[in-house]
Amino acid sequence: MILPIGPVHPALKEPLRLKLKTRGEKVLEAEIDYGYVHRGIERVMKGKTWQKGIYLSERVCGICSYIHTQTFAETFEKIAGETAPLRAQFLRALTNELDRIQSHLLANSTYFKILEHETLFMYMLYLREPIMDAIELLTGNRVNMGWNVVGGVKMDVNQSHLDSILKIILNLESEFDRYVEMFDHGPLLGLRSHDVGKLTREEAIKARAVGPVGRASGLKHDLREQHHTYKDHLDWNVIWRKDMDNYARTMNRFDEITESMKIIKQVIENLPPGEIRKQINIPAGYGEWANEAPRGEVTYMVETNGNLIKNISIRTPSIMNIDACAKYMLKDVATVADAIATYATVDPCIACTERVVIVDEAGKGQEYVYPDYNIPYLKDKTGD
Amino acid sequence: MLDSLKDIIRKSSIHACLVSTGGCNGCDIEVVALLSPRYDLEQYGIYFHNNPREADVILIAGAVTEQWREKLQRIYAKAPEPKVVVAIGNCPLSGDVFNQEGSSVYAPVSDFIPVDAEVSGCPPRPSEILAAILAVGPDAIAAKGRQAKGDQKAQPSEKAEGEEKK
Repeated sequence: MILPIGPVHPALKEPLRLKLKTRGEKVLEAEIDYGYVHRGIERVMKGKTWQKGIYLSERVCGICSYIHTQTFAETFEKIAGETAPLRAQFLRALTNELDRIQSHLLANSTYFKILEHETLFMYMLYLREPIMDAIELLTGNRVNMGWNVVGGVKMDVNQSHLDSILKIILNLESEFDRYVEMFDHGPLLGLRSHDVGKLTREEAIKARAVGPVGRASGLKHDLREQHHTYKDHLDWNVIWRKDMDNYARTMNRFDEITESMKIIKQVIENLPPGEIRKQINIPAGYGEWANEAPRGEVTYMVETNGNLIKNISIRTPSIMNIDACAKYMLKDVATVADAIATYATVDPCIACTERVVIVDEAGKGQEYVYPDYNIPYLKDKTGD
Repeated sequence: MLDSLKDIIRKSSIHACLVSTGGCNGCDIEVVALLSPRYDLEQYGIYFHNNPREADVILIAGAVTEQWREKLQRIYAKAPEPKVVVAIGNCPLSGDVFNQEGSSVYAPVSDFIPVDAEVSGCPPRPSEILAAILAVGPDAIAAKGRQAKGDQKAQPSEKAEGEEKK
């Protein structure tokens, strides 16, 4: 029997259709239908200046909106062969980690909600609100911040801002372990989470799983290792686990929050003085940049003529993670409830996934090669 | 007497359903933030259930994409009669940044279904969303309930449908 779930369903906060092939209560396999949130952002961005493009890139996804603007700005900085001033880099790292904390807390809260553990769900949202306050204090807005520009950030911070943010982080740190323990040692939660939704290392590699999903399956891969700010100035560790199940993914997020708090404290302690923004002259050219978003790696491929965006392609982590979920995790799951919980641990972000329609007339994927740069570029069916 | 009692009960038990019709999901997570202890949606008697078949308030977040043009009307038709539509954010009002040449959005949402309240912002703050639901929800539901009852007297065929939802 095929059990359709979505696009509007109590378990989902975003539209997506999940088709579960079931026998009795057992889920044999799953199929996922996308396409409800395709807005054509990449097509709108073509032929616009970066000042307009950065606002569109922010609205690719609302939960990890910050990292999209940062990656967009850093792609242009790479085309120009420059980097932002050090203070701006530190402020970007600070906001990125705050954004990661709130995103991970939201992801875990969704998981607990679907497990019907209302208490932890409320606790997660309770912990998240002060972080949203910190983001608002720093950037002026809760979700779509509009804070990054090519060459730096828009607003500087002063000491009182940093003190407040540090206080919020210390507060979170002091009570965070209690909540992690509630999950870690909770017998009921353990039963629902251990050995459910297994994704082995080989499967994770095959499905190109990234972010906490990949790291929980033993792939020690975090793009922050390659980022110049994190590599040169900050001391932190990649969090990864080997137990591959729902428990591992949730705990991986919890541990990453702890690591993010460590980074934030370092940034606030070592924030260098100086400029926050510099003039960057963008030449014509092609550039690629990838950053570690809360859900994995987000890649921007931009071709510009110096003024306007000629071509842009955005690759976001959710599409690989959701596919890994549909193909490997939702295979022989004991109950439908566990299948939905497994889907929630992947932290699906549908708005992220649905910028690209990769089909041609025959309904097959079509690969289009950039004429000058030999970069495989997936062509939009409805594109020009 | 019975009607006024019903009104009181209706006013303090509102079921909300969020339909994300193709935005950046920033508004969706602000609606989720409403559930947090700070805003505590449920102390106002609003239950967030995401099921259109038992919804009193339908929250629309997002510019209408190609897929949603017909589905949105179907979802609106599925909701039982005293129903209120609240459009959250700039996307359902104008399409926000997506409403440009070449994109596949069909904002505003009021072209497809009647909208009772609009909250602008990208995204609006959770408190603003809550204020909008409370401003338009209880009274409109009570008033529309009475209106629907009046209609039933005129058209007895709809009576059975009206009885179901009570």
